[in-house]
Amino acid sequence: MENFDLFSEDMSSNRKADLNEVFDLAILGAGPAGLTASIYAGRAGLKFILVERLSSGGQIVFSDQVDNYPGFPEGISGSQLMERFEKQASKFGTQIFSGEVREIKKSDNLFLIETSSGTIKSRSVIYAMGADPMKLPVPEEERFRGKGVSYCATCDAAFFKDKIVCVVGGGDTALYDALHLSRFAKNVIVLHRRDKLRAVKVLQDIVKKNPRIELLLEHIPLHIIGNKKVEGLEVENVKTRESKVINIDGIFVAIGIVPNTLPLKGIVELDEKGFIKTDLNMETSVQGLFAAGDVRATPLRQVVTAASDGAIAAFSAQKYLENLER
Amino acid sequence: MEKLLKAKDEEYVRNLFEQNLVEPVELVLFLESPGASRVTEHNKQYLAYTEEILTEVSNLSDKINLTIYKDDKEKEKEYGVENISAFFIEGKNTNKNIVYYGIPSGHEFSSLLEDIIDVSKGETQLPDKLKEMVRKISTNVNILVFVTPTCPHCPQAVRTAHQFALENKLIRSSMIEAQEFPEWSNKYNVYAVPKVVINDKMQFEGAVPEDTFLNSVYEALGIKLLF
Repeated sequence: MENFDLFSEDMSSNRKADLNEVFDLAILGAGPAGLTASIYAGRAGLKFILVERLSSGGQIVFSDQVDNYPGFPEGISGSQLMERFEKQASKFGTQIFSGEVREIKKSDNLFLIETSSGTIKSRSVIYAMGADPMKLPVPEEERFRGKGVSYCATCDAAFFKDKIVCVVGGGDTALYDALHLSRFAKNVIVLHRRDKLRAVKVLQDIVKKNPRIELLLEHIPLHIIGNKKVEGLEVENVKTRESKVINIDGIFVAIGIVPNTLPLKGIVELDEKGFIKTDLNMETSVQGLFAAGDVRATPLRQVVTAASDGAIAAFSAQKYLENLER
Repeated sequence: MEKLLKAKDEEYVRNLFEQNLVEPVELVLFLESPGASRVTEHNKQYLAYTEEILTEVSNLSDKINLTIYKDDKEKEKEYGVENISAFFIEGKNTNKNIVYYGIPSGHEFSSLLEDIIDVSKGETQLPDKLKEMVRKISTNVNILVFVTPTCPHCPQAVRTAHQFALENKLIRSSMIEAQEFPEWSNKYNVYAVPKVVINDKMQFEGAVPEDTFLNSVYEALGIKLLF
């Protein structure tokens, strides 16, 4: 039974933090960036709090295989990798505070962070709240979400045993999803709008050899067909504009991410795609507010780059606090 | 059967229990023999493993006791057992209302550990404001949380539902391992997890913050909260 490989001991969250205190640093988001920042903040002796709205680990926990994080030559699942990050952070005094960040304000060098579990006061902030998957751009998405439209292949693949599913997207995530789904589904169709996949070559090679996976390139989704659940997808050829309906039972969406910046609306400078702009020290347009990980404007979004961002952000926050005291 | 928990994991759990358990906790497990009506091709392979994992966990602390009822129709009725396997985490503040249908493996193993600790302490970690709102509910609420063991955010939904149950005896919250109960899952159109069903009326998918979850509970009762 493969499930028994994984008796996960996720670090339990808590609310023991005393919110009357003023923290040196509030780290918002417990993905790879936030957890790494916590390791550095803990070792630097800062009085810090780590806030997370869901269970920790960030988006990478949805990946059942991570092959490009150095130090794991056999590869490792996203969940297991994040469990290790957590254990290491916890060794240096990190405890996760459960709460959803709703608003951030700054006055007189003090940040006030409104969360679903109370207001946190902190002298500096590392914003590492990551991103959410981009929704499938068809008018029926909301109606069929959870009824055949899924954003988590690891979670939901089992519901599509011996069925036909479609993965929308052409990047690494899409191909990892397709490979995972091919262990359950009868057929997996990868739908991508360009004439070439975007994923790294090694993944493309594995996918092309998999007899259960079929590529449908230069097509975009138009409409979901179905009554109570997904029964088909109307797709359009981007060149000929011809459309057709493919009969499928599930649609797994991996077309990119939307940065989670709502609590910072109107406060920090964003790039044209909505990601937070920072300098080389990870500092945003607001002094004392740093950004790290997927939420930041950066050319590459990986666990390794998020971890790097987190380390730099924690180091910079420490320097910022030292200057503040002068 | 070979042990399911590795020595290192046992050590971790034993320490966790030693540091956190206060009052005794009773695990009450319901099973049926092969060939019984509720043993299907989908759940039969898991029954022995569920028994084994609960046995191993209960052996890691003197404060945890495991009782197993097999083919005991009367006890099943007393607990309101709807499917097999089912188990209940019982303590002084519970009301046969913290329920698991199917195996707590994968990510759900952490739900099991945290639930045991909460029940033993007799209190949850919900913010005070929310506790108050949960305790105010004065009618029966039945919450089903469908999960798969490989779903990273499912424990959040299970834990929230179980904490509500620990705060209010009128709330009965059940984790359901969707793959073991395909008919049950089909009844509620479960194709993505976590999926939460409240009083057969209100449904939503995905992990949400506790206050949003509670809003949905109230909504199922016909009350629109403003907070």
